[in-house]
Amino acid sequence: MFSMFRKVVPVLVIGLLIFSLSACAPASTADEGIVIVISEDPPSFNPAIADTGYDYLVMELVMLGLSDIDPNGNVFPELAAELPTVDNGGVVINEDDWTMTVTWKMRQDVKWADGEPVNADDVIFTYESITNPETGAWIPGIDYVDSVEKVDDYTFTVNYNYVYPGYLTQFGGEQVVVWPEHYCDAEQGFTAWDCARQPLSNGPYVLKEWVNGDHMTFAKNENYFEEGKPAIPTVTVRIVPDESVRKQMLINGDADLDMWTTEPVIADLQDEPTVKVSVSPYNRWVFRLYFNLSAKGTNDPVATPHPILSDVNVRRAIRMAIDVDTISKEFFLGYAEPAWTEFFRPPYQCDNIARPAFDMEGAKALLEGSGWTDSDGDGIRECNGCTTGAPDGYKMEMEFITYAEFGEALTLTQQFIAEELKQIGIATNISVVEGSVLWAASEDGGIEQSGNFDIDIYDDGYAGTDPTDYLWSYYYSEAAIPDYGYNYGDWINEDFDALLDEAYTLDEDYRKELFCQMAEILEEELPEALLFTALNADAHSTRLQGVQSTTNDIVTWNVADWTLAK
Amino acid sequence: MTTYITRRLIQTVGLLFLLSIMLFALVNLAPGGPLAGQGRSRHISPEKVELLKRQFGLDKPLPTQYLIWLVGNDWMKVDADGDGIEEGYGTRLGILRGDFGFSFRTRQPVLVEIGQRLPNTIYLMSITMLVALLIAIPIGIVSALRQYSKFDITVTTFSFAGQAIPEFWLGLILILIFYAWLKNPFTGDPLLPSGGIQSINSTGFNLGDRIVHLILPVITGALGWIAWYSRFLRSSMLEVIHKDYLRTARAKGLPNRMVLYKHALRNALIPIVTMLALDLPTIFGGAVFVEILFSWPGMGRLYYTAAQQRDYPVLMAVLIIGAAFIILSNLLADLLYGFLDPRVRYE
Amino acid sequence: MTDMTQQTTSNITAKDVSMASIIWKRFRKHPGAIAGIFILALLIVAVILVPLSPYDPEASSMTERLQPPSLSHPMGTDALGRDLLTRVLYGGRISLTVGLLVVVISLSIGIPTGALAGYYGGWLDSVLMRITDTFLSLPALLVLILLSAILREIELPLFKSNSMLTIALVIGILSWMTFARLVRAIFLTLREMDFVSATRALGGSDFRIIVRHILPNSIGPIIVEATLELGYAIIEESGLSFLGFGIQPPTPSWGNLLSNAQENFTKYPWLAIFPGLMIFLAIISVNYIGDGLRDAFDPHKVFENAGEH
Repeated sequence: MFSMFRKVVPVLVIGLLIFSLSACAPASTADEGIVIVISEDPPSFNPAIADTGYDYLVMELVMLGLSDIDPNGNVFPELAAELPTVDNGGVVINEDDWTMTVTWKMRQDVKWADGEPVNADDVIFTYESITNPETGAWIPGIDYVDSVEKVDDYTFTVNYNYVYPGYLTQFGGEQVVVWPEHYCDAEQGFTAWDCARQPLSNGPYVLKEWVNGDHMTFAKNENYFEEGKPAIPTVTVRIVPDESVRKQMLINGDADLDMWTTEPVIADLQDEPTVKVSVSPYNRWVFRLYFNLSAKGTNDPVATPHPILSDVNVRRAIRMAIDVDTISKEFFLGYAEPAWTEFFRPPYQCDNIARPAFDMEGAKALLEGSGWTDSDGDGIRECNGCTTGAPDGYKMEMEFITYAEFGEALTLTQQFIAEELKQIGIATNISVVEGSVLWAASEDGGIEQSGNFDIDIYDDGYAGTDPTDYLWSYYYSEAAIPDYGYNYGDWINEDFDALLDEAYTLDEDYRKELFCQMAEILEEELPEALLFTALNADAHSTRLQGVQSTTNDIVTWNVADWTLAK
Repeated sequence: MTTYITRRLIQTVGLLFLLSIMLFALVNLAPGGPLAGQGRSRHISPEKVELLKRQFGLDKPLPTQYLIWLVGNDWMKVDADGDGIEEGYGTRLGILRGDFGFSFRTRQPVLVEIGQRLPNTIYLMSITMLVALLIAIPIGIVSALRQYSKFDITVTTFSFAGQAIPEFWLGLILILIFYAWLKNPFTGDPLLPSGGIQSINSTGFNLGDRIVHLILPVITGALGWIAWYSRFLRSSMLEVIHKDYLRTARAKGLPNRMVLYKHALRNALIPIVTMLALDLPTIFGGAVFVEILFSWPGMGRLYYTAAQQRDYPVLMAVLIIGAAFIILSNLLADLLYGFLDPRVRYE
Repeated sequence: MTDMTQQTTSNITAKDVSMASIIWKRFRKHPGAIAGIFILALLIVAVILVPLSPYDPEASSMTERLQPPSLSHPMGTDALGRDLLTRVLYGGRISLTVGLLVVVISLSIGIPTGALAGYYGGWLDSVLMRITDTFLSLPALLVLILLSAILREIELPLFKSNSMLTIALVIGILSWMTFARLVRAIFLTLREMDFVSATRALGGSDFRIIVRHILPNSIGPIIVEATLELGYAIIEESGLSFLGFGIQPPTPSWGNLLSNAQENFTKYPWLAIFPGLMIFLAIISVNYIGDGLRDAFDPHKVFENAGEH
């Protein structure tokens, strides 16, 4: 038995190997198409429901919105014939009640893949589906929209109950597209309809096949309105959960594009002759420290101020003690860029804020000045007549939280910052939690919403060109109410509130002035300490040309323009 | 016999009911929730939270949620549009009528999601188990018959080593060797594919292509099973060999080989068969590590993503169906045992 | 492990003591088991002595990042310039403690459950075995993933979030059933034995019979099973780390050291090789020890050896 076994196994193994050599060496990359690898299935083609990023990616392949934003932050028309502005008469502001009406003119040469024209009825159908209270979804700015009215087959107006600066991407951008009225089943409702999984294209590609969890294949849309585009006839999206496998597939030429490539992978790909990395011209994701100004677990910065962090000088000392350059160089392989204000990129780039210095001694002096000294010689400062009103002897010890999904670069950064804080006499207890716990609703035990933290570090920032909604939810005083916004640190500043109220206008110069004033208040008060931006990059094969990474949308935003080099 | 099975089935229902309450509470009371931002959106707007809660049915008290999950809400008035007026009946049927709800993530019916993944998992797991058994049974027999021989010691060492390597680590190393390093000398392509069920551009069923895609996942998944089953068979063989009746048979002058194959092997295989029946449910649950590493679209990954994103309906469905599988295969194991071993009688 | 054997045997009769020495004699003849004991002891001594290391397991040293193994850093350094040997040994503290805790937790649930069920039988047996069945009906890996995702975020007085006690509890809660069934089976046989009925006739209390008479006689298989459980627990912790649900950095464990290193395996192989080697050594030793103990406790072996002499 044993000897028989000894004979059979090698024969089997060799047999299998020969099989793999001859029978079916799989043609790895089909010559006529490209392969995109992503880590999980998109929930659907409708990013307005789930917002995972994977849905943006596939949505851009098949669907168009009225407009979109390019990597430099310029809005460009897709289904729209031109962008409505105050100057071209497309936007009319009623100064009396501060409402506005936007008139959109659509292109008349765009067709659905089945040959039907894309027209105003589809837009109105999309609007009504989104706002259906039973089966709809929430999209940014939708609360400002009173109604959408058809003027003719290719013209419609959007009536706003307030001046909304983000109106240009109301039915476009990364989240919203126009859905076909004649194809989608209104009864099923926006969030559940089948046309979000088997979409009817008006974009460059049509979905051919979706094998759940495995791959999706797309073929050129013969009815696509741009002449001669797309140049690449087929696109395959493969689901490959493990990052190192995706990297190896790029190296081996089995994949042409990896979305959201991380810094360690980029470093590994540097010497690969067949792989290039596209980097977004502007960054969006700013890593920053979130300070809780109320005592941990409470939401009132006046009645129960944070015993340590409620003093702005302590916050400033913490920022001073963090060596951003070293973090960038060592953990983000030089790809992270320092950032210290929300307004660091066009169109609202404010140069009135100087880059803060990295200064350990200065940080220590600030802490001394605020009444925090190390009186018992254990290396950790205690309150000795400190300004926050904490009892004498109160230790400078805090919890320091981040989220797990980002990966090693962030956890290393967190540990490094904790070390640096220790050097100025601040002790931190580090923990790493899942995003679904950190950002959950307060009743689900969400750490931030329930104010159950001291210092958090993670990345955020606004997409596109309009920061107003983003600023509102992070810094406006009303947004400090749990589950109402994301002003988790409970920072209350009436001057800031007033400036932000003013910023709901279409006067670009005035807006910039307001934002730069806000930047000054934020620098003075430091409710968050912005540190550096993470890279937004997508690795692709050198034969795939025209890829441009972007933080305003997803890498496939210009897929129709991509070409394959021979 | 029939009464025995009936009684066991009734017990099963009770057990499942108990489990479902336990699991429902566990899944729902967990910190974190489906209403947190996913992917790149750090946060989810309060307006959207409100809407989603209503659409997911999370706005109701937990016992009501359980009731709806169990028996549906088509018999009760619901307020679907959030205006405070209960305007019509719900649409959920509840799991007792085969409606496991819809996935929070994809808004697809959970059973559709499971239906898309289950065949892939059964395909991979059954081949893995088959391969594991085909290797483990001869190894186990030989090492028992030649206890403490060189072969036995080598096999023991390998089997212990097999259990000492984390599955995810083994898979990664295999990918590194067979996908990154070793090249097919004729075409220059990687020797084996990195994952997936078959090549994307292969049309129809291509046996060679299928086998090539199975090699690494099956090796990774089977190693632990081989180690486990060969050790198990070895010890049950040893036990049987030492049994008195075999000594008697031998003493009666029956040829050793015949004694071994006719009596020992048959008796030693009984526990293996029951053990196999007990291990069947893993075919349903899939192998999380193998599926992640080898991009295999199976149940393990479906569940893993659902756990990360707190997709309650998917979690509940996989857990409950998984538990049902386990209970039923326990029953199967008991019945098989009785069938193979005539000394057992059911009351 | 040996401590436990001695402790339990110390308060029973001289005959049993000689039995223990017979078992030890037989165990000694198993070269794998002896090697296993030796390696495991070495590991345990090393993780106990690691505070003597000149390096801090958490303090970063940016000038010494990612150095390959050298004389001053025998296992090299990690991404924060920390000495990997020191971290691996601290990780060993965590991993081995998790393993031991899992064994302790599953023993302390499993043994009483099995003993009561097996000894008293009747309705108590039914109830306890239904509970055991319920736990056995849970899809173990799936529930393990769920529980570790849930429990590690909970703040309870005893459980620091992400702590080893939490992970150990999660694994322990899902592995005590083996012990319960094992102990019950042994008790079912032993309670009918003459020496038990004799003690009962002499007025020995149930508690005394269970603890002093039956339990010591079932210690063999329990120890074997417990050794193996230690190995499973270490593997399971590393698997959870790979899925992101294990012990979280900066606290090192063999599992998270290994799974964090996989991304850069080709560039910094030492980061993965050494923690992997530790897991491998620990588990293979434990398996050999278990194997040796099984042979040593095996009644058939007694017969065989007797026959040989």
